[in-house]
Formats: sequence, C-alpha cells, structure tokens
Amino acid sequence: MGSGIWSTDVYSAAASYRAAKGTSAFAYSDGGARTVHPDLDPLGVTIRESRDSAEHPNTLAVAVLFDVTGSMGGVPRTLQTKLPDLLGLLLRKGYATDPQILFGAIGDATCDRAPLQVGQFESDNRMDEHLGKILLEGGGGGQRTESYELAMYFMAKHTAIDCFEKRGRRGYLFIIGDEMPYPKVKRREVGKVVGDRLRQDIPTKEIIAELTRMYDVYYILPAGASYAGDDQMLSAWRALLGQNVLELDDLDAVCEIIALTVGLGEDAIGLREGLDDLDELGSSAGAAVGRALAKLDRGTLVVADDLGLGGKSGVIRL
Amino acid sequence: MREHVIVVDLGYGDAGKGTVVDWLCAREPVQAVVRFNGGGQAAHNVVLPDGRHHTFAQFGSGTLRGVPTHLSRFMVVDPLALTAEAAHLCELGVPDPFGLLTVDRDALLATPYHVAAGRARELARAADRHGSCGMGVGETMAYALAHPELAPTAGDCESPARLARKLHALRETLEVTGPPVDDCVAAYRAFAERVILVDSSFTTALLRRRPVVFEGAQGVLLDEWHGFHPYTTWSTTTFANALTLLDGAGAVRLGVLRTHTPRHGPGPLVTEDPAIEVTEAHNGTGPWQGPFRVGHFDAVAHRYALAVAGGADALALTHLDAPVSRMCVSYDLGELPVGTAGDLDRQARLTDRLRTARPRYADGVDDWPAAVTEALGIPVCLGSSGPAAADKVLFTRAGPGLRPGNRSTGPNPGGVITHERV
Repeated sequence: MGSGIWSTDVYSAAASYRAAKGTSAFAYSDGGARTVHPDLDPLGVTIRESRDSAEHPNTLAVAVLFDVTGSMGGVPRTLQTKLPDLLGLLLRKGYATDPQILFGAIGDATCDRAPLQVGQFESDNRMDEHLGKILLEGGGGGQRTESYELAMYFMAKHTAIDCFEKRGRRGYLFIIGDEMPYPKVKRREVGKVVGDRLRQDIPTKEIIAELTRMYDVYYILPAGASYAGDDQMLSAWRALLGQNVLELDDLDAVCEIIALTVGLGEDAIGLREGLDDLDELGSSAGAAVGRALAKLDRGTLVVADDLGLGGKSGVIRL
Repeated sequence: MREHVIVVDLGYGDAGKGTVVDWLCAREPVQAVVRFNGGGQAAHNVVLPDGRHHTFAQFGSGTLRGVPTHLSRFMVVDPLALTAEAAHLCELGVPDPFGLLTVDRDALLATPYHVAAGRARELARAADRHGSCGMGVGETMAYALAHPELAPTAGDCESPARLARKLHALRETLEVTGPPVDDCVAAYRAFAERVILVDSSFTTALLRRRPVVFEGAQGVLLDEWHGFHPYTTWSTTTFANALTLLDGAGAVRLGVLRTHTPRHGPGPLVTEDPAIEVTEAHNGTGPWQGPFRVGHFDAVAHRYALAVAGGADALALTHLDAPVSRMCVSYDLGELPVGTAGDLDRQARLTDRLRTARPRYADGVDDWPAAVTEALGIPVCLGSSGPAAADKVLFTRAGPGLRPGNRSTGPNPGGVITHERV
C-alpha cells in the first residue's frame, strides 16, 4: 500500500526549493542566456503560420506578445505562470474550436539585445516551451517607448493564418505592455532584426492599418507595470487602436481577459455569460475582467480597421 | 498508442503500476502522466535498463523518460516530500524535475500537522492498526471532509496570509505540535514559486494533446468505499476519478495484477502463504504500514475488484518469472458481493466473513496470461517478467489502444496469442 520513503522535513524542503534556481518557466533566461533563443529569433524568418490540419480543421490564430523590458517589473514572470492556462480556457468553454497560440516578446531595438522574440503558432504544449525560451531583457531605453511597431511589422508581414486566408476571419493579437510604440518602423532596425530590406521607414499607423486587416489587435496595460494607468500612454494607444485598449488591474486575470475577449469576438458568448463561465471555473478574476471588458460588450467588436485613412479616432464599428 | 490509458491496480497495490507506466512512456511519446488519487504515500518502483532505480511517490512513473507529471485536483500533494523525491531524481540525471511538474490549485495539501495527527491516531489503535503509511494522507482527506473551507490546498501556497490562517486553524483543531506555522508557510511559498500551479482547465487542454497516461495509486481492494473496511485507504482507487477528469473522452482501462497477490500491512489476504518464494527488491517491512505479505493469485478477490471498478478493457500481468503455479479459483463461501458505495458497516461485515473464507486452488498453472484471462474474463495484453521496460511482452490480442500500431490492424482472428518483444 505504498510507503513514505521521501523525507518530509520542512526545513530541508524550504532550503531545497530556494536552491532550485529560478522558475522553470524562464529557464532559458534564468540559465544566464544573453541572446535571443534560435527558435524565437525573427531574423531571416520567412513566415510564422497558423494552418488547418486534419486534427485541427478550424484553426483560430491567437498571438500574445508581451513587453519584457525593465519597466514591466515582475509582470512578465507572472504572465508566464498564467499564460499556459490560456489554451485550456479557450477550449474548455468552446470560445474557439482549434485555437493556435503564438507567444512572443517585445524589447527596444534602439538599445536591447533582444528587441523582438517570436515563437510559432502551436496547438499544444510546444507554445509553453517557447514561453520558456523567452529572454527577459529587463533593460529598455527609458524614453517611454519600446519597439512595439517592430513587433507589429513582423506580425503584419511575416505571419500567415488560415482562419483569415480560408475563412476570412481575423485572428487575435494581444500586446501586453506599458509604453508607447515609436512613430515609425525604422528601415535600419527591420534590416538588423528581421532581415528585410526596406526602401524607407514605414509610419506605425500604416503598419497597424495593414495588421488589422488580418488581426483584431488589442493592447493590454496591466497593473504592476511602471506606467499603469498613465493617461498619455492610454491615449496614445487609443489613438492607434481605438477601444481595443484594455486596462487590467489584476494581472492574475490575464488569461481570462484574453479568453473572454476571444469569446466575445467569436460571438461565442456575451460578457455576462463569460463572467459566469469564470465563476463556474472557480476563477476569482471575474471582477477585474468585467471592469476591463465592459466597453467591449456590444455584441460586436470594435476594431481599428480604418486607421491611417483619416478620421479622429480611426475607429469604425463592424 | 493514440488513446489515453488509465492504469489501476486490481489488488492491494504493489502489482507493478510504476513499471507498466514506465513501459507505456517508453514506447511512444506520452504528453503527460496524470496522478488521480492518493498522495506522497504511493511507492511505484521503476528500473531503467541501465539499472537506475527510483521509487515514485508523487512524480509520475514516466519521469525518467522525460514525461511531465500533472497532479490533478484529486491528489493529496505533499510539497515537502516532493523536494526529497526531486532531489533523488536529479541524482539519477533528470535535469529539472520541477520543470516537468504541474499541480492543480485545488489539490489538497498534506502538512506536517496532518502527518502528526495521523500517526497519533494509528499509534492509538495499537494492535488494531489499519496499515497507514504515516504520511498523513488519510488525515488530510478526513479533515477536508469535516472542514471543507479550512482545508489548505496547493493554490493557498500562493497566498501566504490565507495559508497561515488555515494552518493555524488546522494545528489547533488537530491538537498537534509540529513545526511553527511561519516555517511551513515559507516552505510552501517557495513551492508555489518553483512549481507551476494551474487551474482545472489545464486538464482539459492536456487531454486534447493525447495520449495521456493516468497513473493510479494503491489498489482497488484498498478503495475507501469498496475495500475491506477498515483496512483501506482514504482514496478512491478505482478508475472513477480518472473517468471524471476525462469528462467523456475515451480511454483504455488497464488493470494491473501479479501472478500472485501481495499485500503490504494488515487486513484480509485470504490466500496468504509465507512459503511463496518471490524476490522483493523494493518492498520491505514499512515502519508504518507493516510487513510485506504474499498470497497465491486470488481470482475471487480480483473479480470483486473488477466488479467494483466497473470492469476493465485489458489487463497487465507482472511477475511472470515468479516461481508460482497455484491459483485460487473460488472461495467456499462463494463470490464476494458488491455493496453500495459508502456503506462501511457492510464492508466491515464483509471483512469479517473473509476471515473464515477458505480458498479453493487450481494447481499446475504454467500459462499465466491464459489462466488469468480465463479466470477474470478480461484479456491479458501485457506480460512482465522483470522490472525494466525491456522485460515486457505485448500480447497482440489486446484491445485497440495497446496494440502496436505498425503491426496487426484488426483483432487476431485465430485467437492465438502472439508475442512481441518490446
């Protein structure tokens, strides 16, 4: 009937957990790595793709890119412990049939060693492995700007998703961060980080207009980051993405907010229903998610489809 | 193997679940091993071809193959024992055991206070000991039933204040001493920072990434409701918890048995015969649960186990190399009737009747897989004649889930058992 052969000494256990270095999640970063993991390096990548297969005939692309610079504080680590739950949340309640998730990280191309890290769209736990390979930069330039525009350039130019190509349904891109993008995608940085030869810089607004044809793009400003609640930051993003700018005051609820946003976008649920789902799952995130998503509960979603074509907010309703 | 497999012991434990899980994980990529009952008191021995050996308690028996373990909400988790087990796994060359582990936040926490209370209770029973392992698992379950709101869970380790409150209440209610609450909180907090805690939705996602192996602990004859009361464990040892986690997804129910019937600690063992000579490399007398006992293969008890477990799809039979040739085919008092779950008085009466049961034997058994298939009416699909995966033989008559994918594509028409060396 078994036995108790392993010691249960509380003091040696505490010492042992302390000695076990870091979290397994950011094993690559915690292992002393100082450069982008080859699996996540965007340089020379032709395309990251989300494709249908026999096993997953009805894929939906969901990309989550988060800022890993110093201003984010402990946020990336918390995200790491929460994000592996995302797939389960999407599936469990039927918000998406065959979600494929891509994780990536955003730094600052003006000064960082890892300005952009992008995994692959996966339907299984390989996405967790990508998460583990993300280098936590912890630097950043301190100008209240990071290279979000470079990440959006990559997503616009170097991803292909079947949900859009075959079914005309946008994928979802969530950017989690606390600073502003630079106003232009710089030719020189694109060459260095992605390997594309551009003839000239591209205004960030233009790249967002291109990106939002393929993705519903959301910006999430979480609590715990340096510029949480910062009005300048929020209005800058609202000018770019309209109402798809979400403030999240409980970082633990990050998976729930993403899952419910997808659920709302896919017309799988209404907000009330989604919050009930969270209750049912025993999640305590309902209140925070409800506050963050209240303005999205319109039956249809608001997207920044028309950006760069004039108009004050650049927001139209589908 | 494309299907999920649930591995459950149809005896009193110690039949070889660990070695069967190791074999399943050695064959083809397995997404994860999910534990669905018991806790740190499990002891599943796995030996690799190079002789490395580990007694798995909370980590799944696929760990040496690099297969992740998920401790489901039905587990009683002991973070303290977990570090000792992880340390040994490191010594065996597993680079980051904790990196292979996920724990459901709803899993109950076994603490030093439960251990102290459980041991005191068992000592007070003096000669009437139940065979506890001294790990506080039963005490943890009992406390959670009596105080559902106050029972600490793995998820509480993330909230030091809440955990401290629960631990103070626990210590007071159980009237035990043990380490100061603050010291425990520090250790559990370190646990929560090191191990990935997940919500129940994790299991759903995991099951989509098939195949998953569900590794049971103890044995069906020790089941909390259907075992021979009071010599049982505080745990549902049947397929039930795994089926709940599967939530309708299909799985092969694999029962594990030995060519003889062992029992660790006190309680009924109708066919007990100390003269049976089997070598027991990893099972000795436990300081808490008592001596390791052996009996002849007890088809009556195993048929009862199958009945209370709702049947099985296939059987794995270990210890084919043991020098045994006698099988108990019936009792003088007939088959054991299955009662309503939870009627422990009735189970205690059943235990009393077993004291006077006389086994009837068939002698000269040499083809054990055939004999067990015949006696239990379930095909033996896997044979084992040693501790390592290489000592396993697959009988291709087995159900679809365990048939080698690159070989036969349909049931063996002649019914002839063929052997495949794995």
